[in-house]
Amino acid sequence: MTRTITLAIESQAECIELLSGALGGLCRLLALPAAPIEIAMVEAVNNVVEHAYHGEPGHPVWVEFEWAPNRLSLRVRDRGQPMAPGRLEAAPALADPDPAALSPRSRGLTLIKSCMDTVEYEARDGVNTLSMSRALATGESV
Amino acid sequence: MILTHRIIEGIDIAALSGRLVMADAPQVRQKLLEIIEQGNGKLILNLAEVGFMDSSGLSVLVSAFKAARAKSGDLALLYLSPAVRSLIELTRLQQVFAIFDDEAAALARLR
Repeated sequence: MTRTITLAIESQAECIELLSGALGGLCRLLALPAAPIEIAMVEAVNNVVEHAYHGEPGHPVWVEFEWAPNRLSLRVRDRGQPMAPGRLEAAPALADPDPAALSPRSRGLTLIKSCMDTVEYEARDGVNTLSMSRALATGESV
Repeated sequence: MILTHRIIEGIDIAALSGRLVMADAPQVRQKLLEIIEQGNGKLILNLAEVGFMDSSGLSVLVSAFKAARAKSGDLALLYLSPAVRSLIELTRLQQVFAIFDDEAAALARLR
């Protein structure tokens, strides 16, 4: 059986912790590994607030959480400026850091790709959707 | 996010408490950079009470590390909470940051 819940916040950085709290509760309820799921969701919503809506509050952000016994899916939707084509694909994989070249640049997309098995992006009819999923091992727990 | 600051033997020790995320990152970065600028560039950052950190928080740590090194000092991380340790290990930044579970050892490193 698949179970789904959709959460919505307005595009304010201060509201993201509300999503984190709700997601943490869902992960405890379903005995899911909370840490990678929370990282992926927070980074995805950060990107929406910062880039799709350019830090402007008052716009909608939706997070759909879909649980099936062997897979967890997250979909983050917004109505802001779409991500540039190829940006997701261009996000580098995690690599050993070079102290001399260390940069405070955002690692958001890289972290999302590291925490989830599949990550896809679609901009259609004014709605942008970042879809992420992660396989759940039998008995995988927090 | 709460930041407390004390100085021992000329070494700055800052402790953060709460969630180090995008909403708080600009203020925390500014405060840490001020501490580094006004001090000797030697900073111990206690992260025991940081319950969650995202990539914005990581970028604050990187900014502090670079500012400290630019002043011929260094940054030491102290008492990583499980969530912070998990993120730092995921990004392999434990290869860059000096990490301690003992304040005396962190002080000895920066003396």
